[in-house]
Amino acid sequence: MKAFVRIVLLLFVSLLPTTTYAVSEITIRATAIEHAQIEAKNVNLLVDLMKPAPALKLSAELKQKAEKDWTLLNVACMLPQATKPDAIDCDEGLVKNTAVNLPFSLKVDHLFNQDGFDLGKLNAKASLQFKNAGFSDAAGLHAAEKLNGQIEFAVQRDGAAWAWQTSLDWQTGELFWQPFYVESAGHQLNASGALKEGVLDVHHAHFAMRQVGELDVSGQLRLSDFHPIALSANLPNVNLSAAYHLLFKPLLDKTALNNTAMTGNASLLLKMQNGELKSFDLSLKGVDITDIDQKFALYQLHAEIPWSYDNPESISVSYESGSLLNLPLGKTNIRAEVNRFSLTSPSVTLPILDGALNLSDISAARIGGEWYWHLRAKLQPISMADFSRRLNLPTMSGKASADIPLVTYSNGLLSTDGSVMLNIFEGTATVTQLTMRTPMGVAPKLNADIALRNLDLGDLTRTFSFGAIEGKLDGDIEDLELQNWKPVRFDASLHSSPGRYKKKISQRAVENISALGGGGAAAAVQRSFLRFFEQFNYGKMGLSCKLRHDICEMDGVESTSQGYVIVKGSGIPSITVMGYNRTVGWGELLARIKRVTDGNSKAVVQ
Amino acid sequence: MKKLLAGFVLLFGTLFLPQLVIAAADLEVNTPAISAIKGSMQARHGQLAAHYASGAVGLTKDGMVAVRDANSVPLKDRGALNSAVAAENADRAKLYKEIATANGHPEWQPEIQSTFASRWIDKAQSGWWVQGAGGWVQK
Repeated sequence: MKAFVRIVLLLFVSLLPTTTYAVSEITIRATAIEHAQIEAKNVNLLVDLMKPAPALKLSAELKQKAEKDWTLLNVACMLPQATKPDAIDCDEGLVKNTAVNLPFSLKVDHLFNQDGFDLGKLNAKASLQFKNAGFSDAAGLHAAEKLNGQIEFAVQRDGAAWAWQTSLDWQTGELFWQPFYVESAGHQLNASGALKEGVLDVHHAHFAMRQVGELDVSGQLRLSDFHPIALSANLPNVNLSAAYHLLFKPLLDKTALNNTAMTGNASLLLKMQNGELKSFDLSLKGVDITDIDQKFALYQLHAEIPWSYDNPESISVSYESGSLLNLPLGKTNIRAEVNRFSLTSPSVTLPILDGALNLSDISAARIGGEWYWHLRAKLQPISMADFSRRLNLPTMSGKASADIPLVTYSNGLLSTDGSVMLNIFEGTATVTQLTMRTPMGVAPKLNADIALRNLDLGDLTRTFSFGAIEGKLDGDIEDLELQNWKPVRFDASLHSSPGRYKKKISQRAVENISALGGGGAAAAVQRSFLRFFEQFNYGKMGLSCKLRHDICEMDGVESTSQGYVIVKGSGIPSITVMGYNRTVGWGELLARIKRVTDGNSKAVVQ
Repeated sequence: MKKLLAGFVLLFGTLFLPQLVIAAADLEVNTPAISAIKGSMQARHGQLAAHYASGAVGLTKDGMVAVRDANSVPLKDRGALNSAVAAENADRAKLYKEIATANGHPEWQPEIQSTFASRWIDKAQSGWWVQGAGGWVQK
């Protein structure tokens, strides 16, 4: 003891005599005490022998030598009685420093078996009550406030092991343990187990989480490095709307599920061995998931998802209805085989509007924390009228269908091999080389080549209120890149289809096309005798735009010394529309198109 | 003498090359992706500004933001604070990458990020906490 303790400035012992010469009170004060690891200062120990039962009051500031902050410790205890020499009852306890404020009371029922104070026969039972306790780390990421609760603890020697039981009743207070926040408490824990050779064995722990559900856990933990040797957890019935906010939302922060509302029930059975997941069994019953930003929703979701490291399992997922980016999804059943980190399914049908998306030969694998998958996709015809209305586009007629032999997803990039074919405006639009990056993210990116063939100009111009044109349209939009669904680059060329068919253009369409080219021709039409004609014949028409850095470089079907020909007349009455501006800002061109299709530039025939 | 000159040139090159790169980069370049990211950051700024002012969140020297001392924030709001900081950093990383890509030089991202770092810190309002070489300082 001498070697370890150096009392720097001791001390002051006062023995206050009473009239009967018995000692009534002993006070010990020390300004500073040093120990190999621990320092203490302002130590005040007062033993009051006169109370109905003798009591002890201790106040001291303590710290470990390496630390900077002092911790204040206050405690007042009744001294043990001869009948129960190991019973301790302490009140007015306080542990306080910059990070912790823990008022407590401690009641030790007994420490030893009745046959002696042998440490090997320790048999302790104690309860600790904390009142309005709080703590916080420096960054405030692990903190609690106004905690009230009680911990009961018992430990006995059991052969070579220590058997323990504990119960925790968390009555009120709030806790933030990054990323989890638990409020309004009302949670309870009962646990028992054994401690042997540095391994904490939890035979059974039962958590009752208010509103969320009950959790049963057993397992083994190596204390030297907190390595979980084994864990088995069972949540038989979880209320998802409460559990989502308490447990899942913080964990799903970086996923598409980070801002949803969930209702329904789930159960989960989970087993881990040596820190690795061995198996789980997740089941969802009557779950509704809706994205707050309305990107997607699934209703009446049922799922049985077993998984095992060792054995292949079959999973099934179904939902009654849902929506994705405003498109309604119909009742769907999905079955798949899961083999460790890979998933396969021969086919899945997702009803969308009046058609369906058939996915087949699905194969997915999780490698190094990333998903990789490929599948074959076939879109059974869906009505464009419904589709365009749902996406707030001008109402289009026709049907869209697609056949993509191979869709792959790897490293965040979705790419297709094959073509998406849309039957629109009595012609076809074929999308090839389609790739997408983060379609649900902040800045989605899409690349594609689009070929338009034989679109009916009558249908097309009616749909976009452009002014009537009769004829057929071909177009190629190559090297298209959309960022956040807005074009940033393409080489586009639209022109009348080859072949013989009726080619008529109305005066209003002429005006509008001229307006796109930056005016000129429109005024000419209005001033000339041509204003007496409602419509004209044309031989061919075409307009191209090469978009780079927000500038559209324009051209027509032919070049002339002053500009380019957009509509080349033929027959009587015929008209030729010229474009003079070779470059136009993309924003300006969009504004012109909008003015035209909004009908604000209605032809004024004078 | 020649060697000395070559040494100077080399020294100059290493010292000023990153700045030269940035002099060539257009930091105000705009694409729909960049404006979408900026829009998302602007929408979040109102939420973060109060935390910059209280010192809960500070601007780091690498052009990101970090929770510095959340103790002034009620416990129930700390989860949202952490999410906002994580989302802000994800947006900032994307922004630097997109600006480098829009300049046609994806490899410029680190220099663009460090230029933005000093810009954010220069523009920080007085009272905000910013990370200097020696740690957090209040402007």
